[in-house]
Amino acid sequence: MPSLNEVAVGRSARVADVTGSDATAIRLLEMGLTPGVTVKVVAAAPLGDPLELELRGYRLSIRRHDAARIAVAS
Amino acid sequence: MTHPSGSRGDQQPLTVALLGNPNTGKSTLFSALAGIPTRIGNYPGVTVEEKVGRFTHGDRIIDLVDLPGTYSLRPQSPDEQVAVDVLQGRMEGVPPPDCVVVVADATNLERNLFLATQALELGLPTVIALTLADIATTKGIEIDAAELSRRLGCPVLRVVAPTREGIKALGDQILATAGSPPPRPIPLDSQPAAVAAQRSPAANEAIARYARIEQVLDGVVRRSPVLSRSLNERIDGVLTHRLWGMLVFVATMLAIFSSIFWLATPLMDLISGGVDAVAAVAESVLPEGPVRSLIVDGVLAGVGGVVIFLPQIALLFFFVALLEGCGYLSRAAFLMDRLLCGVGLSGKSFIPLLSSFACAIPGIMSARTIENPRDRLLTILVAPLMSCSARLPVYLLLCGAFVPNVPVGVSWLRLPAVVLAAMYAVGVAVAAIVAFVLSRTLFRGQPQPFVMELPSWRWPRWEVVLERVREAAWSFLKNAGTLIVAVSIVVWALASYPRQERAIEAEVKADREVLEERLAALPAVDPDRAELAAELSALDTPAGLEAARRGAAQRQSFLGRAGRFIEPVVKPLGWDWRLGCAAIASFPAREVVLGTLGVIYNLGDIDPGADEAASALVRRLRAATWDGTNKKVFTLPVALSIMVFFALCAQCASTLVVIGKETGSRLWPVVAFTYMTVLAWLGAFATYQLGSLLLR
Repeated sequence: MPSLNEVAVGRSARVADVTGSDATAIRLLEMGLTPGVTVKVVAAAPLGDPLELELRGYRLSIRRHDAARIAVAS
Repeated sequence: MTHPSGSRGDQQPLTVALLGNPNTGKSTLFSALAGIPTRIGNYPGVTVEEKVGRFTHGDRIIDLVDLPGTYSLRPQSPDEQVAVDVLQGRMEGVPPPDCVVVVADATNLERNLFLATQALELGLPTVIALTLADIATTKGIEIDAAELSRRLGCPVLRVVAPTREGIKALGDQILATAGSPPPRPIPLDSQPAAVAAQRSPAANEAIARYARIEQVLDGVVRRSPVLSRSLNERIDGVLTHRLWGMLVFVATMLAIFSSIFWLATPLMDLISGGVDAVAAVAESVLPEGPVRSLIVDGVLAGVGGVVIFLPQIALLFFFVALLEGCGYLSRAAFLMDRLLCGVGLSGKSFIPLLSSFACAIPGIMSARTIENPRDRLLTILVAPLMSCSARLPVYLLLCGAFVPNVPVGVSWLRLPAVVLAAMYAVGVAVAAIVAFVLSRTLFRGQPQPFVMELPSWRWPRWEVVLERVREAAWSFLKNAGTLIVAVSIVVWALASYPRQERAIEAEVKADREVLEERLAALPAVDPDRAELAAELSALDTPAGLEAARRGAAQRQSFLGRAGRFIEPVVKPLGWDWRLGCAAIASFPAREVVLGTLGVIYNLGDIDPGADEAASALVRRLRAATWDGTNKKVFTLPVALSIMVFFALCAQCASTLVVIGKETGSRLWPVVAFTYMTVLAWLGAFATYQLGSLLLR
């Protein structure tokens, strides 16, 4: 399954799963990146990292390293 | 509705907790309800800020407790732990709340209800305040507050804090709710279809909670796509763009940096002028003696040293609050994250580090905007390595006096300028290395999530911006100011005592004899002859004699003795004991070193700012020799070694005091002082030894 890290800037994807149960995974879920939600990759920072996402009507920034843990259904 | 703490009503004050996500207009709502906070401090044992405001509504006194902005009540960070402890009545000094006001951003209700529904499950009387309701309307978001209230089982009120719309109704609702039974929310479905059995309870809870929120909001929130949403997108498109975003960023940072550097200067001059004027009055009123010296050189110098930081603190916090208020602060962190991530910091460290080039004190204080405790502490520890404006006079003097003014490659690029730039680079490079090493050793632990909200663009609220400035200035004066004055007085005492007139006279006499002997020993034609003769004849003028006395007194003081005592330590740096002494004396503030060098090498009191005095200091330093010899103290390697030392050392009591206050610990200032002093010594050692080898 592809990860959110592989989604091109400007494209959207549906979250399938967040792997792991550490602090980062829980925080990602708490911020609304739960299975089934649609996420748009709005932009990447000038140096390529982090990513700017849009979900649930707001904007969130996460690092590519963490985005790689979010499996998406394309 | 707001009154200063009054004595109306004979009932106990109601305790109301204000809970909400960051960037939800919580501070604005706090100001609208309670006005200026009546108590600001830290919760016991942690560095989380405690903010309480007392106001009267109807006939009840209400203590409004502003909880730290948090996304979840799962206690993971110190902020969240404080919020949970206060809500559950377990926080020392805070009574269990009679009512909770949950702030929910109407423009971003889905995610805001995550915290709100967690709060409802605590079993406390709860009111939900929908803030930024006006912005939600312009964005085409319509919320059926009555239906939401019915579905959540608690009162939901629309408020527009800046215009006070709905504030009175919120006050009434708080009084009504505080006495009523708590809401009974429907328990979350423990195993919704989407939840996999292997997930942790916290993960399951989050997924189930969002599933519930989606049900609750179904039909309650209506969105009509309007233009302002795309305007928001367009602003973001430019400001986080590869090229334009970086250009705007660099321009913004340059503007802020240069204003804390240059805009603050006239204000700082005004303050030091004022302190000088008071000192002059004190000098004319008080009789010469220890009391006058204590007041002028100890107390007034200490107070002046505190107040001088206020313009920079106020300006920096003004800009930071402005950027935070409009949503740019998070974008700046977004743009810079990659760069700082490499050395173990995060994008949020950028502004504190940048401002530390002007002064580490506002820089360290602005690290408050970093929520992550590990990143914040790491930033605070390396911030003093940025070359602040107090180092500049030291660099300028030594570069101008001892670095040969020769071109480097091209004619307009001169060696002193290159050395000056190198000093700034040394600080940055060492900070990067220290951050890198610390983040992989002492601060390793679990990886800290970098999950940062990028709030929508909005106009900053002036009252919030000004309140931030006032808060920062006041907390600096109250928390750090007194301690800084105390340190200044202690150092004054060490530099002034013991004072034995007979010993001073004897030393001045011995100095003169040494000079005469050296002059006699020199051949008739020698370049040093004129200098020695001038030095001798200076001792016959009243000013020269007074300067020699002051120098002798300082050399015999505890400080002077300490200088001699540490001579073996500073000798490998190419320093004589007087330089060691000046380094110790500059502990209250680096810039003091120039004045100390003047006194210690018998120049009398010099003003490091005035050109003529500086050149007199330069002449004096150039002439300085090792005790009883003709060997010059100040050579190029020694000057470089002094500069590297001052680039890396922690000779700034105020910075150490502020590190202590901001981290709420006595350990971290000690750690900062120790590691910086060790690095400064090693750096100076390497510079001097290498320099002596290469420049032989």
